[in-house]
Amino acid sequence: MRHTGLMGLVALAMAIPAAAADIDPLLKKTEDRRVEVIRKVYPAVAAVVTGGGSGVVISPDGYALTNFHVVAGQPPTLKCGLADGVLYDAVLVGLDKIGDVALIKLLPKVEGKLFPFAPLGDSDKVRTGDYALAMGNPFMLATDFTPTVSFGVVSGVRRYQYPERGMFEYTDCIQIDTSINPGNSGGPLFNMNGELIGINGRGSFDKRARINSGVGYAISINQIKNFMGHLRAGLFVDHASLGALVSSGVEETAQGRVSVTAMIESDASRRGLKVDDQLLYFGPRPMTSVNQFKNVLGLFPKGWRVPLTFKRELDNGVTERKEILVRLMGYERLDLNNPNAAPVEPKPQPERPMPGGPGRPTPGPAPEKKGPTGPGAKLFEAKAGYANYYFNKLERDKLLAAFKKSGDFTSLKGAWQMQATGKLGDKGRQAVVVLRAVPKGAKDANNDLLQGIFDGIDFSVEPLAVEVSGQALRDPPGSGGLLVAFFQLRQLLVYGEKGFVGNFSHGGVEPYYPPPTEGTKPDYLALRVDAQILRTSLGGVNTKWFFHLNGQLLGLEVTLDRDEDPCEVHFSEYRKDASGRELPGRLIVKYGDRDYAALRVDGWKLDDK
Amino acid sequence: MKTRMVWLAGVLLLAAGFSRADESFAKVAAEVNPKLVKVYGSGGFKGLPSYGTGVLVSPDGYILTVASHLLETPDLRVHLHDGSRWSAKLIAVEPELDAALIKIGTEKNKVEDLPFFDMAAAKAPLAQPGTGILAFSNQFHIATRDEPMSVMRGTIAAYARLHGRIGIFEAPYTGMVYVVDAITNNPGAAGGIVTNRKGEILGLIGKELRNEQTNTWINYAVPLGASLDIRLADGTTAKISLADLVEKKEKYKAVAKVGKGAGGGGYLGLLLVPNVVERTPPYIESVEPGSPAAKAGLQPDDLVVYVDGLPVVSIDMLWEMLGKYRPQDRVQLEIRRGDKLQTVSLTFEVPPRPVAPSPPPSPTALPKGNQP
Repeated sequence: MRHTGLMGLVALAMAIPAAAADIDPLLKKTEDRRVEVIRKVYPAVAAVVTGGGSGVVISPDGYALTNFHVVAGQPPTLKCGLADGVLYDAVLVGLDKIGDVALIKLLPKVEGKLFPFAPLGDSDKVRTGDYALAMGNPFMLATDFTPTVSFGVVSGVRRYQYPERGMFEYTDCIQIDTSINPGNSGGPLFNMNGELIGINGRGSFDKRARINSGVGYAISINQIKNFMGHLRAGLFVDHASLGALVSSGVEETAQGRVSVTAMIESDASRRGLKVDDQLLYFGPRPMTSVNQFKNVLGLFPKGWRVPLTFKRELDNGVTERKEILVRLMGYERLDLNNPNAAPVEPKPQPERPMPGGPGRPTPGPAPEKKGPTGPGAKLFEAKAGYANYYFNKLERDKLLAAFKKSGDFTSLKGAWQMQATGKLGDKGRQAVVVLRAVPKGAKDANNDLLQGIFDGIDFSVEPLAVEVSGQALRDPPGSGGLLVAFFQLRQLLVYGEKGFVGNFSHGGVEPYYPPPTEGTKPDYLALRVDAQILRTSLGGVNTKWFFHLNGQLLGLEVTLDRDEDPCEVHFSEYRKDASGRELPGRLIVKYGDRDYAALRVDGWKLDDK
Repeated sequence: MKTRMVWLAGVLLLAAGFSRADESFAKVAAEVNPKLVKVYGSGGFKGLPSYGTGVLVSPDGYILTVASHLLETPDLRVHLHDGSRWSAKLIAVEPELDAALIKIGTEKNKVEDLPFFDMAAAKAPLAQPGTGILAFSNQFHIATRDEPMSVMRGTIAAYARLHGRIGIFEAPYTGMVYVVDAITNNPGAAGGIVTNRKGEILGLIGKELRNEQTNTWINYAVPLGASLDIRLADGTTAKISLADLVEKKEKYKAVAKVGKGAGGGGYLGLLLVPNVVERTPPYIESVEPGSPAAKAGLQPDDLVVYVDGLPVVSIDMLWEMLGKYRPQDRVQLEIRRGDKLQTVSLTFEVPPRPVAPSPPPSPTALPKGNQP
């Protein structure tokens, strides 16, 4: 027995130098580089022991990505092993059921100790034919958590894979022949620079019973980046739909084109999209197939605003081309049997996501929820609609702390007044606008009064009064509710969380589009900035607040009815007042497709009692 | 001038090394993809996908693919790499090579200048085991319209004789194939191609077959230069090849091998339900308009129970029995319609051109609404 082992070793030792001498130096260099890349990213690959899948650490403070279907049905506190052989405690942070993504956070064994992590790549740069490395823990092979490496090529990019029971819709995903098997779920896909380009989670198996058939799919990292702000905020994320059914043309020789075949009441319909319109671009992408339409749709969380360009044949034979900025509606609200697109192509057999481990059935959508245990438990707070409300409060408080740098308004509990001059209404006439919020001393602000003078016409409303009419809340007419928006602003600045009832939460990250320079054709993709979202509700009014990542308030949207356009107020040209508080010097108010007002502030007057 | 040449040679060397050793097959994939097409036809059942792959072999729209159930429809469609959608017609079939030639474009709706693979490549020497390959196909119908084919990477493992079977049937092609280690044995991959790492075509990915001996799925490609010697009824031998099929196009005549339906068969215009199990009852799926079956009043859902007084229990048995007749022969079928037995008489006719691929499996067209 001993002899055989020794002989084996000798044979190996002899074979190595002989082979090395024959190796093409370029091949050797390539191989060395591959080994080096693997060595570099290896420590960041996780074995998600709870759930029997894989994961990857993406930040030094321990945030890690995995699949929703790995952690579904598991308690929110998890165990994760890294290549260092240590089993770490972890806690669930955010969930994306439709996109099959979960964000978790590993807890260091020593407070403040940093984790090895993988840098995020740009999955839009991945090309068909590129090499790709998958890592993870297939078949739960490694009990010491050292990841298994498999090597292959990208078979396709921007692939679409149908959802299964409303979950696991893989949009814009990366198809690989890199071998992935049960247990690889949630693990990383790397490019040859060691950058994370995707999360492996699904495959087409057909007759091979969930064992690699050379067709695996990874969720593209660029899609996950769009949801990252939501995931970090502990949300149970919803995906987007447009509110339109589309199909591609079937005429002989017709190139793939995507046209609207049916619509429901939605932001898209209010922005003017109609049946028979042909979609040209959705976001930055040309629309050539139903798959591509669904790919782009899958990139965005519910509520994001995305530019959409369409073409319309008018009755007189003229072709009209138009670009709109569409607020995407939710996915879950719709009948899942009838989502956004009616495929005309034959529907392939639904492919199944890989189970977490061998012999383990695919976890359903959380059968019985077990409670948190262990060190992660203090980082968990259950709340409906959230994966982990603890992280929502964490992100929200970080945002409010940054916002606080623009000034402390908490002592200014008196009347607020803003006077401004500028263009008003449809005709854009020059006018003076005065907005005034007058507290009436009641403890619950129910009698607070809002007054406004718009070009000499007076309006007033008690926004929290029980008998307030819907019309009064929308005053002045055409603004969508500017008076109420002013009231909301004062509530946030003076009272913070205490100024709201019901919702006061972080809403993740969304694109924000500052109003384009007057008279120019907006280039939305260039205008776009990332904004942190705060969501509040008070007296039936839902407000979405947009903050610059540095904490400055960019604007707000006041929504009085879900099926109605919000009143948008955009702030800019911040100036410091005598007490060092930053206040906007310019306001642009929009409602629907129209500018209601473009105002320059003449003065703010904020009383402390 | 000389220095420049040396410099150029250096650059070329570098470039060659680059693509050989590392980086990416992105460029090769982008060059190969436009020469492949997505094919849609009949099928749509478990084990019988309604999609497949084909390869352009001429600038005017001739496409080489496998002879499968997919082609048994008057509503055959093709998506080109640019996303355009075309009707296609069956031009010729060579059952022994399990290959077929289809064509897009008509007099009115011409296609020209399409990128294609030259069949001259069929004359290239065989690739040796160990050669690095890329496999291209629309497996699992992942791509539609202008979305590119799936690409896989692998190596030629062996050059060997194919002993495959589909379900219980022996595979029609029994010649030599490239056995590869890329997993090409997937739904819809048939009709795709295997190239070397430079994107030069080596062979055509065949149907999903199992190895007769080991019962495992075989990943293989029929070499582009494939040819077979077929013994004919008159004792002579005929050479058939993919190159010949592509060259002769409409003029190609499939040869009748000895032992297949001594009578040479005739035409009745019957389409039966998909032959999916060992003894699929011979239910009629549809009847071709104007055919002998139509004239005799046969209808979908009729079950054939007797042929000239002999009981028939399976589709295979029915095809075997019908294969013994010749055109002008008469046959008496007893069929069960609902709970009644009826007797009908039919006269075999000469099969209309083109001949559909050999009967088993013999599924039917997909319902209209479900087609791309």
